[in-house]
Amino acid sequence: MDSSLILLMVLSLFLGCGCWLFFMWAVQKGEFSDIEGPKHRMLDDDEGPDKKDKEN
Amino acid sequence: MPNLDAATSVNRQGNAMAPPSPLPLSRVARGTAEGAQELCFHCGAQIPAGILLVERAGARTLSFCCHGCQGAYLLINNAGLADFYRRREWSGPGSAIQPSQGAYHDAYLSRFVYSSANGSAIDIIIDGIRCASCVWLNERIIGRLPGVLEVRVNYATGRARVLFDADALTPAAIFSRIAEIGYLPRPYTSSAAKEGARLEQRDLLYRFGTAFFLTMQLMAYSFALYAGYFQGIDLQMKGYLQLFSLLVTAPVVFYCGWPFLTGAWRGILNRAPNMELLIAIGALSSFAYSVYACFTGGEVYFETAAMIVTLILAGRLLENSAKRRAAGGVERLLGLCAGQARRFQGETLETVDPGELRAGDEILVGPGERFLVDGRIVEGSTDVDESAATGEALPILKSAGDSVIAGSSNLTGAVRVICDREAAESFIARVARLVEDAQSRRAPIQGVADRVSAFFVPAVLSLALITFAMQYLSGGAFGASLMSALAVVVIACPCALGLATPTAMLAGTGAAALGGVIFKGGDILERLSRVTLAVFDKTGTVTCGRPELIEVRAAQGIHDRELLSLAASVESGSLHPIGIALREHAVANGIPLTVGSELKAVAGGGVTGKIAGRLVAVGSDRFLRELGVCGVPDQIEAPVGGLVVCIAQAGKYCGTVILKDRMRDDAPGLVSYFTRAGIPTLLLSGDREESARQAAAGIGIGAGIGGLSPAQKASRIELLRQEGAIVLMVGDGINDAPALSAADVGCAVAGGTDIAIDTSDLVLVKPDLERLAFAHQMARRTMSVVRQNLVWAFLYNVIGIPLAMTGRLTPIYAAAAMALSSLCVVGNSLRLLGAKRG
Repeated sequence: MDSSLILLMVLSLFLGCGCWLFFMWAVQKGEFSDIEGPKHRMLDDDEGPDKKDKEN
Repeated sequence: MPNLDAATSVNRQGNAMAPPSPLPLSRVARGTAEGAQELCFHCGAQIPAGILLVERAGARTLSFCCHGCQGAYLLINNAGLADFYRRREWSGPGSAIQPSQGAYHDAYLSRFVYSSANGSAIDIIIDGIRCASCVWLNERIIGRLPGVLEVRVNYATGRARVLFDADALTPAAIFSRIAEIGYLPRPYTSSAAKEGARLEQRDLLYRFGTAFFLTMQLMAYSFALYAGYFQGIDLQMKGYLQLFSLLVTAPVVFYCGWPFLTGAWRGILNRAPNMELLIAIGALSSFAYSVYACFTGGEVYFETAAMIVTLILAGRLLENSAKRRAAGGVERLLGLCAGQARRFQGETLETVDPGELRAGDEILVGPGERFLVDGRIVEGSTDVDESAATGEALPILKSAGDSVIAGSSNLTGAVRVICDREAAESFIARVARLVEDAQSRRAPIQGVADRVSAFFVPAVLSLALITFAMQYLSGGAFGASLMSALAVVVIACPCALGLATPTAMLAGTGAAALGGVIFKGGDILERLSRVTLAVFDKTGTVTCGRPELIEVRAAQGIHDRELLSLAASVESGSLHPIGIALREHAVANGIPLTVGSELKAVAGGGVTGKIAGRLVAVGSDRFLRELGVCGVPDQIEAPVGGLVVCIAQAGKYCGTVILKDRMRDDAPGLVSYFTRAGIPTLLLSGDREESARQAAAGIGIGAGIGGLSPAQKASRIELLRQEGAIVLMVGDGINDAPALSAADVGCAVAGGTDIAIDTSDLVLVKPDLERLAFAHQMARRTMSVVRQNLVWAFLYNVIGIPLAMTGRLTPIYAAAAMALSSLCVVGNSLRLLGAKRG
């Protein structure tokens, strides 16, 4: 039983490490430099395909 | 009686005896009948009388205030983005629009272009972004330029990063496109300091993120160990769990907590115990004990060490982002003066950085460019938009001899400007320094907290030692005794105490700055909150400093409108307040103006000109008599404070108009605010006693004293202070400089003029008296938040330390309680940021 628990602990550590690396990558990429804009941008992205076609 | 000799000096700050009329005068007639005028569809500003620019949109007719706005609308509409007008949320009118096409040079801009993975990139500060829709519009408009690969506008900083194909598109094309839709683009330059601050914030985020993830992992092991403590656990399993805990805690203490460890070490070296020393002792001692327990089979407290570090990092992160937000304003301000200057080298021009300009250098400033330094125009004339410096939205006509302020923009003509001082000493640079100073200057109350921590640390350490000695000597276990001592250290950690004042001051000054009030320091905030008497200057402070027509007395056989038409026509080229008043009145009342010829301003008297072939003179009665006009009445009666202007045509007296300086609309509101706040008010004036008293009564000021020279005003305030009053002086900053510095808190309402900044303790970004009420409110609220914070922090220590000393509080609860206390303090301070004006 012990060995399976330890295996799980190691696995969870790896999982945590993965999350942590993801976080570090996100900071590096500047994901946290604008935490206000995306919520507006999400609502603004309403250009339908017809408009896109007109442009091209 | 004031006569027209003020005409030449009114715009020159250098003239000490200039009439106190700091408000920039506008060449464009302002409409007085509010609401009757239409608003510009694009920028929402009032459309000046006589401008007719319209576009048809379906059945609607849209009006615009200028060609720039019209062009911006056409561009936006043709791009199919007219939705912008429906969705935008602008709280006020106006836009950053400038006629700046052609002002962007590729040679200069290409310096800011850098290559990135798949193309060239440039960072642009876009001025004028006010809502999410502005971001949306800019991204769409820039994104549709052929050659643009990607564009991202940061909502928080107003900066855009544009990725483009350098072969297909020039940076100048991007800049002009942004300018065309009514925003003001500037290249973003990163300096070492800015880069450093950014890296520091990122570093802090790394450390906090790491600490957070590791602490989460750690908590899982800790909970297993807690459960094992109560229900029993396999010894081998316990060993593994403790080992894993050690594994995840070590980086938290030594990597994430590194800033505290080095800070503590510096504290020891300087023999100045600081807060970081307490944090370091708390974290290191619990970590060391846990490692010891780990290998000897005791209970571990790794989570204590990890939690201290994580929570304090969270606090730092909050504090840092507040500071950065404040610094962003400074950066924006300095950005107004970024760019390149063209300096005259003999008769040729050379391009130099503004930093290389020295006093006495002559530069050429073309239309659409900004003045990068303070200076005087030596050749040419142009309209200048000084809104960045003074908040005055309408452009001002300036010609040779007039001074220009750095950061304002040149709208219509090329001018040759002689620099008054170097760029680092310019108006904008000084304001930026002011703001930075204000942020670093400490309030006296803040000093108290620092002194407290200095003796606090040794005291707490000795208390911890005593606790340990008492428990251990009275037969307690080594571990338990150490834990109690640790709990004392942890709970006493005066973080809440240290955070109490700075966070509140930071939030208070930040909120005030957002509302248009810049405090020169935390001490000003503190003094303003304790003010017991508000003293006002009259002219230019509670009055507009701008006369208005109140009475028309036409001579026999002449119609009022005819008289006004004559007067306004002759004054049509005048920048003098009287000329502006007459023109404004005529435009507002639909009185037609005739184009005159041979218009001539006579210094010290008035204006003459030919209207329909006949000589017309407008000026004081003395001026008209000197011109040989017949029929001028010997005695012209005028009300208190009234200005008499006589008009003659072809040598014959036609009539008189009376003008009077109007009360500012916002003055009674401010006075009644102070009255409600229980602060008595007083009016000091250089005018006659009678008019001072009348003005005071007019706006509800308790008492008015007239006939005072600037020096007398100052000594009067000195006297009031000796009587024990804490005096707030509100003046216009030019005549009142001595009085302003004599008062406990001096406030110049003249907007952003040099003198206002130098003599004023708080600067109103816009000459708007209501902001002063807001500033006072902010000061009071900030100080009450500081007091709440201090009481809370002390109370917490008073309750916590005895509990910890008697061993009733394990370090983990102490850490949680401490974190809670810090969060309460920070949260309480942040409430100030939500404060709205009024």
